[in-house]
Amino acid sequence: MDSILSEKHRIVRRSVRSFCEREIRPIAGEIDREARFPWEVVEKMGKLGYFGIQAPRELGGADLDSISYAIIVEEISRASGSLGLCVTVHNSVALYPILVFGSQAQKEKWAPPLVRGEKIGAFCLTEPNAGSDASGIEATAVSDGDAYVVNANKVFVTNGGVADICLLFLKTNPSADRNEISVVVAERGTPGFVVGDLEDLCGMRANPVSSIRLYDCRLPLHNLLGCEGAGLKIGLTALDTGRMGIAAQALGIAQAALEEGILYARQRRQFGVPISKHQAIQMMIADMGTLVEASRLMIYRAAALKDSGKRFSQESAMAKLFASEACGKVTDLAVQIHGGYGYSKSYPVERYYRDARVTRIYEGSSEVHRMVIARGVLGK
Amino acid sequence: MGLDIVVCIKSVILTAPEEQMLRTEDTSELNPFDRPVLEAALRLKELHGGRVTVISMGPEASLSALSEARAMGVDREILISDPALVGSDTLATSTALGAGLRKLVPFDLVLFGVRTADSDTGQVGPQTSVQLGIPFISMVKSLEWQKDVFRVERVADHFLEEYEVATPAAFTIHPGAFQPRDMGLSGIGRAFESERVERWNLADLGLMPERVGDAGSPTRVLSMKRIKETKKCEFLKGNAREQADELMKRLSDSGAIGA
Repeated sequence: MDSILSEKHRIVRRSVRSFCEREIRPIAGEIDREARFPWEVVEKMGKLGYFGIQAPRELGGADLDSISYAIIVEEISRASGSLGLCVTVHNSVALYPILVFGSQAQKEKWAPPLVRGEKIGAFCLTEPNAGSDASGIEATAVSDGDAYVVNANKVFVTNGGVADICLLFLKTNPSADRNEISVVVAERGTPGFVVGDLEDLCGMRANPVSSIRLYDCRLPLHNLLGCEGAGLKIGLTALDTGRMGIAAQALGIAQAALEEGILYARQRRQFGVPISKHQAIQMMIADMGTLVEASRLMIYRAAALKDSGKRFSQESAMAKLFASEACGKVTDLAVQIHGGYGYSKSYPVERYYRDARVTRIYEGSSEVHRMVIARGVLGK
Repeated sequence: MGLDIVVCIKSVILTAPEEQMLRTEDTSELNPFDRPVLEAALRLKELHGGRVTVISMGPEASLSALSEARAMGVDREILISDPALVGSDTLATSTALGAGLRKLVPFDLVLFGVRTADSDTGQVGPQTSVQLGIPFISMVKSLEWQKDVFRVERVADHFLEEYEVATPAAFTIHPGAFQPRDMGLSGIGRAFESERVERWNLADLGLMPERVGDAGSPTRVLSMKRIKETKKCEFLKGNAREQADELMKRLSDSGAIGA
């Protein structure tokens, strides 16, 4: 495995892991219990460049490659799934589309504070009646003089409770013969921009997932990203990269569950020996290790393709599908190894088990991914 | 003006060798005892200006340790590498490092880790200072530059000693004295952008092969075996008070607690 990584990647992993072990892991259980977004840690992460991993230097970013990006998301998620989620959504589906589709002026305005982590980004696509089917979007932006008048009800917005810069997917000037989806950037604080209640979620509880609503909110016309009608293209581009981040997040959670499983299996004694000596447990550990390693290879392969400028959509979709489902199995087995204690809040595996579940749902459910993959495999 | 600081670092082996020692980039990393030393050097530079140079002796696999130092913010990296250096003991290592350091004169300060994680001798710092003939203080807990002298504190058993040292001087830094900084991602990205590590071989150092490597090493490790520690679990008998008394007695008899 390590042979496909360069020395730079190893140092990236070493340094991020050492930060996470010291700053995130000790509070991961607590921020989950309290459903608290740890600003004090996020600030430090911002100073180290975790919020502008692939952004160019001139905008203050670290300009690292996609493999480094996957490693960083994996390592943060290994400590806290919620913070891994915050970082991957911010980097891949909020900042990245601005960098790819934004004008020079837009990049100069929004990217630097996002890159420093002083402002947090969000991607607002899902609505009560639109998710997997983006064409069902009901949010609208109607031009009026120098602004769009925006009305939208966006739900399940990751980072929603803390986001300052939100990419809104909406229909611009909809009419009987026009039905174009576009992306307009909304900044928190604009009159008519309302952050709804935080969702009371099963996992990822330290991430302030909320609804965001806009009521006759006037957003300048120059907040349009790309051109009118570019929404789907922007969404798909963002999600191609986003998938890799979610896959890396699932991998990080699975890795943590594997490590916890091994640790417990070595300590816990039944029938006079550590349970790791029992073949039933060994079979589980073997499966867990294999799933984790296979996920990692698929993710790095997709990332390496992206880094070499090749097409990677299919590979990143497969990596996301596989890693999220593997994460479900690995965390489930980690709970099983722990027996009753695995079902208790005294051990971290129940958190991994809860956090794992949503990786099969968001940024494209497993079913949508299978649909996309089948199309690729069958050749349309 | 600023301070010219040289830090001697080592790339150590992560896992204990089973049979033959094989050093690759996968299995080595910057000696953990060197990280607080780099932190000390970088803080001095931030306070007083100047520059930090790192120098390391070792095979090509040591390059990663130098890159890591560069990601932390050092200004110049030098790798002393030569086939003739293979098999160097601590004295031969100090001879090579000393020769390298002489090429860097004038400097104000040479810093070392207290020891290395993979061989644990703690000899290279003091021996190299002797080679250079400069004042040396070990286990430095704090240091302060006062225009033309260093004021340093060192821990010795339960005492804190304070020294005033003229430059150039050499110190080993107590591993708990400075919390090494986290490496920013930009720093890591930049550190790997271009190859800039300078390489010196024996000829560059002006050393004869017989002074280093196997030939120049008066000591030799004959064998290395893993020590197996056996743990014995013993249950104390009696009621809680008796058990507690017995435990206290044993702890105090073994010297683990008490005066």
